[in-house]
This record gives sequence, C-alpha cells and structure tokens, in this order.
Amino acid sequence: MSKKSVAFNVLVGALALSSSAAGCGSRPTQPAAGARTVSYAPWGTRVVVNQPLGPVPGIGDIAPVANPFGNDRTALEEGRKLFVQFNCAGCHGGRAGGGMGPSLRDPAWRYGSTPDRIFNSIAQGRGQGMPSWGARIPEQQIWLITAYVSSLRTPDEPEAPR
Amino acid sequence: MSCSPTLRCAPLLLTLAACQSTPRLSTEHVGSVTEVAGTLPGIHLVSPVPNGDWRLPSGDYANTRFSPLAAINSSNVMNLHVLTTASTGVPHGHEGNPLVVNNTLYVVTPFPNNLIAIDLTKPSGAIKFIYEPHPDPRSVGIACCDVVNRGASYAGGKIVYNLLDAETVAVDAETGKEVWRTRVGNIDIGETTTMAALVVKDKVLVGSSGGELGVRGWLVALDLDSGREVWRAYQTGPDRDVLIDSRFHAFYKKDQGKDAGVTSWPGEQWKLGGGNIWGWVSYDPELNLIYYGTGNPGVWNPDLRPGDNKWSCSIVARNPDDGHVVWAYQLVPHDHHDYDEIMENVLVDMDWKDRKLRKLLFHPGRNGFMFVLDRQTGELLSAEKFQDSTNWASGYDLETGLPKEDPSKHTGGGRIVRDVCPSSTGGKEFVPSAFSPRTGLLYIPAHNTCMDYEGIEANYIAGTPYLGADVRMFPGPGGYQGELVAWDPVRARKVWGVREEKLPVYSGALATGGDLVFYGTMDGFFRAVDARTGAMLFQFHTGSGIVGNPMTYLGPDGKQYVAIYAAIGGWMGAVAFPDVSADDPYAALGVVGAMTEIKKVTGPGSTLYVFGL
Repeated sequence: MSKKSVAFNVLVGALALSSSAAGCGSRPTQPAAGARTVSYAPWGTRVVVNQPLGPVPGIGDIAPVANPFGNDRTALEEGRKLFVQFNCAGCHGGRAGGGMGPSLRDPAWRYGSTPDRIFNSIAQGRGQGMPSWGARIPEQQIWLITAYVSSLRTPDEPEAPR
Repeated sequence: MSCSPTLRCAPLLLTLAACQSTPRLSTEHVGSVTEVAGTLPGIHLVSPVPNGDWRLPSGDYANTRFSPLAAINSSNVMNLHVLTTASTGVPHGHEGNPLVVNNTLYVVTPFPNNLIAIDLTKPSGAIKFIYEPHPDPRSVGIACCDVVNRGASYAGGKIVYNLLDAETVAVDAETGKEVWRTRVGNIDIGETTTMAALVVKDKVLVGSSGGELGVRGWLVALDLDSGREVWRAYQTGPDRDVLIDSRFHAFYKKDQGKDAGVTSWPGEQWKLGGGNIWGWVSYDPELNLIYYGTGNPGVWNPDLRPGDNKWSCSIVARNPDDGHVVWAYQLVPHDHHDYDEIMENVLVDMDWKDRKLRKLLFHPGRNGFMFVLDRQTGELLSAEKFQDSTNWASGYDLETGLPKEDPSKHTGGGRIVRDVCPSSTGGKEFVPSAFSPRTGLLYIPAHNTCMDYEGIEANYIAGTPYLGADVRMFPGPGGYQGELVAWDPVRARKVWGVREEKLPVYSGALATGGDLVFYGTMDGFFRAVDARTGAMLFQFHTGSGIVGNPMTYLGPDGKQYVAIYAAIGGWMGAVAFPDVSADDPYAALGVVGAMTEIKKVTGPGSTLYVFGL
C-alpha cells in the first residue's frame, strides 16, 4: 500500500468522524487516535482496498499491479469461460466487441487498460451500468477474466473471432 | 404570431388562402379525419387519421401512419427541401417521431429522455421549453439495444412518455412542467421502458423492455390524470397475473387451457420468461380493444425452456378498461430464434376474399411472415412470406394456427445451426409500416438478414443479460439487405419493392394523401417514392443514418411539412458507434456481422430535419 492511499483514507476517516461528531455539538479538529480507515468495498481484496478511484493528484502514480496469470494459455481459456458465464459477453459482445457495454477490443479505455485498472473496473463496477462484481466473483476469477480481456486482439486471444 | 387550431383563431385563418383549403376541425379530434378522399371501395378506417396535428405515436390509434395531407404530392415532391434543422444534442438512435400539437412540435430524445418543445409560429422554430427528467443513468447499462425512446402521446393537455429507467412521465404541454411521474418497473432486475406510451381514453398504456435480461413482460395502465397504476398484466404466469378469466376465448385449441403461462414452461422459468411489450399498441375504438405483440421468451437458448412458452411471441387483444384478455394467438410456440413479435398491428376494415368487409389486423412479423388476422376473434386468415429468404418455416397451417417449421433450423445447445433466415433482427424490425386507404397497400420496411445460431449455457444474474446464445448475422441471399415492400394484404402478395444493397431498412414508413411513401435509410437518405409504383421521386442525404419514423403536419401557415430524425442507433444502428468494434461479428448480440459497412457510410447524429416546399 502506498503512502498516498493511506493518507487519503485517514482523511476520509476524519471527515466521517467530524461529521458524526458535529451533531453532538463538539467540534474535534483532529481525528481520534486509531480512527478506522474507510475502504471503498467491503470484500477487501488486496487490489481494491485503499485503491484510489481516479488519477492521484501530484507527482508520480501508483505502480500497476501485474496480473498473476500473465498470458498463461489455460488461464486465458478459463477467463474466456468466465467471461461468458458471468454474462460479460451479453453486454460487451460475444467476443468483447461491444453492444450494451463498450467494446473491450478497441484501444479506447475509459478507466485504464493496465491489469489493475481492468481488475478494479470489474470489481468495483463503473457508471452507466457496469455492475460491481467484487462481491460476487472471487478475486482469483476476476484476475482470470482480466487476463482474458488483456489478451483481446493479441495472438494469445482464445476463441478469437474469425 | 400565435395561431392554434381553435375557434379563436378562425377569423385569422380565414384571411389566409392556404388555410381555407385545409380547414381544421374544432371537435375533440382536432386535426384528424375518418373520411379520406380517394379511399378505395371496401376499406373503412377504424380511427381518425392525422390531418394537421400528429398527436399519437403512430398518428392514429390504428397504426396506419397515414395522413390525408396532399399538398406535397408526386407533382411537386421533387421540390421538397430542408426548411429547418434542430439538434437534440444526444448522439444516439432517434427512433420514433415528433408530435405536433397546437403549432408546437415535441421531440423526446433518447436517454436522458428530454422533452423539447419547439414553437412552430416562430422563425426557424424557437424552443418553447426543454423538460429534463434526469432518469437514473444506471439504466443505460441495462438497455439492450442503445438508449432509445420510441415516442410519446398527447392527451388532456399533457405529453406522456416513458423514461429509460422504467418511469412514465406526464408533462404539461404548454408550460413544460411535470404533472406526474410514476415508477412502473425496476432497473435492478433489468426492466427498462423504451416503447411509445399510448393514451387510450383516460389510461396510459406502458409496456416493458428487457427480453435480453430475463424480464417477465408486463403491460400497465396508468390513470392519465394522476399517473396512478390502474391495472397491470403480465405476459407469463398464472391466468390471474395475465388477466385471463372466463371472458377469454382463444380461437385455436393450442392457445386454450388454464394457466398456460405457467404450464407451458418448465418449473418456474416463467418468472424469467420474457414476452415483453416494447413496440406498438393499437386501439380499436369501435370494438374497445387494444392489440399488441409480445417479445421473445427468456432465455434465448430454447433447450432451457421446453414447452410453448406462453405468452411470448403472441398477439394479444385486451379490454383497455380493466385489462382482461379477450383473445390471444401465439404466432410461434417455443421460439428458437429470438423472433420478438412486438411489431405494429395495423387495424383496417377491408373487403376480404369473400368480398365481405372484415375487421382485420395486419401484423408484418419479425419471423418473415405477413399475418392477417380477424381482430374480433383472433383467427389467422393469411400468413405469407414477405421475404423470400425466410426458411425457418415453409408456411402456416390456417386450421391449427401453427407454423410448418423446418426442424433443421431448430436451435439448441451444443450445436451451431447455420443460415437461419431471417436473423433475430427479423424480416423486419420494430420499425413500423404504413397503410394507405387510397392504394390498399401496406408499406413494410423490411430486412434480408440471416444468421448462425448456437445455444450456450445461461446464468441468470439479475440486471445482466440472460441470453444463452452465441449469434452472428450476415446479409441474406440476393445481393440486398433492405427493402421497402409494398404488400397487398388481401391478395397476400408483394406489389413492388425498393431494395437497399448494403443495409436493412430501419426507419418507419409514412403514407400520405399525396400518394407518396416516405422512409429513410441507415446510410442517411430520406426518400419519397410513388405509393403506387415505388418510383423514387425525391431523396436527400441527411447527416446520419435514419432509424426514426417520418411524420407530416400542417404548420401555422397552413402548409404541409414532413419531419424526420436523422440519428443512427438502435440495435443494428449502434454498430456505427465508436463503442462497437467491427472485428467481432458476435458483438451487439450478433448484429455486427451484418453491419460491416455501416461505419463507412454513417456516424452518430442527433438532428431533426423539417422539409417543405
């Protein structure tokens, strides 16, 4: 976990504390010792917890997390199966070319194309209809789907359209 | 200058020569007539057709999309030109058409479903108001086929229409103030509302979309004044939910029996059974019956739902007062191909083959057959192919009401069934046809698209697609993919057709007293053809592909105008969007394979065009 995300979460904790305390008439200016940090999702995977939702202001960025499955062929095929089983194909297209949801084959990525960003888009959900799958799909399977999505339009893509 | 077609304007209108030749009625049917000059003998119009204003989604209750206006006709249509344009700012498929009421033109945009009122008495059409309902943006992600809206109704001083997030609104037509807003469905289980709400007497009729998300279809009636729900009818499940009781009389034995909406399904699959109503509702004021078609059964893979799957793919006649079903006819039991039958039902009284005037219902089917029914009884009188390529069935047995299916085109799990025609998008889509009482012909915007279809596993996860099929479509045989078909419904034959080489015809049709048929193409041409011969008399290349419906009205100056949206989108049209990749023929539920040309010939738009002489 980076220093930036720790700091950000403490700040959120402080805001939460001060707003609840304000109703009691007191106005603490410092967060109490050991104030609980707030994470964005209840399921608490190592990627999702404390991960900023957008670009972090300031110099530098958080190093992307690599996909543990890389382009392992079995993993990609498994990811392809999950892509169908969890109805991703219904929205994003039979071979992820888009439809109800945007194409995942093209170079346009609203929320980033690195594996950690794709993971977060699946786990957290995105506006305009992408559900939050983190509570329903185990972390390892999200990585498998991420691996499949990353393989689209590459020679490694399983069941590529003819 | 403000000039509404009421008596207070009469002295002013009389000073204008143009107005004298086109007097407006001051009854409750302002701007509409039942008697049309030049009507062929043996044809009776069921509901007044728009003769100035255009107040209902299809112009009239009978879905004829006919206007007797004849100032624009074959002698002058070549002089038609653009008079004004207006952008809605929403670059998505503009299905449906504007309304014109009391010299105001109303546009409902795709999501975010704004209502834009344009004052026709002002130069170039000044905006009178914009009503912004701000529907829930999560609905965008559960709309199967672009974020479309198919139109509105005007009644009782209100514009009534549906929002994508399964709400219905009534807006004061003068002020733009919201009168009521009613939630009719739940987007968390995939329910959206895209159809054109139809006002019948004091009720607003609204149907569900969501056949690709396991939505159990319904039709609700809301009170026009309050928005309160009066009745709700499901299309699957027990008779009490479908509103079937002792007054129900199906013509065919196959459609009789108790609780067919349960017994024709395995287990509780009917709860995810589809049969949505996302197209058009018709109304016969003489019989006091509404008619509509229902969508595909859920899920697309037929192996997962043995049985007839009632009441999917059916035509249903209901009493609008309490919603009870009078008759129902299932066009295709146990659908194998996603042939939604939500297409328009055109109501006309016409001399049938025995030369006796019959109360008919024309249903140009998605499954490639043109159906003619007796709309009093639900008896099938005729079912003939309007596209030769149709091959899933050879015909219909009029004794049993059943299709003569080709078992080799039956789809299922674990096998790819090839060259099924038409494709799931149909021999025609929801885009409505038009009927002229002057020619006796129905003008059908048709497709010639086929597909390969493989049933696959399906998991129901609320609010996500529930498909179970891997589909890819492609242009059908014959070197064309679209056709405007002029069809003689009594002789059951095509009279003429105007073909499009590369793309389906995805716009509605309009027939007029000037013996013209207007329609648009997916590559953006707006056309007028001779209603009797199909000869092309006018075309104009708009800025985007056309998936809306032409309409015509009289302006405050008494002159005739024609309006059309040019804004590509919808299921097939959305392939023009940057969000869809052309290298995946299975994308967008399989339509990309048939639409490989579209990105080369058009792109997103958002424009209303108004034409005049």
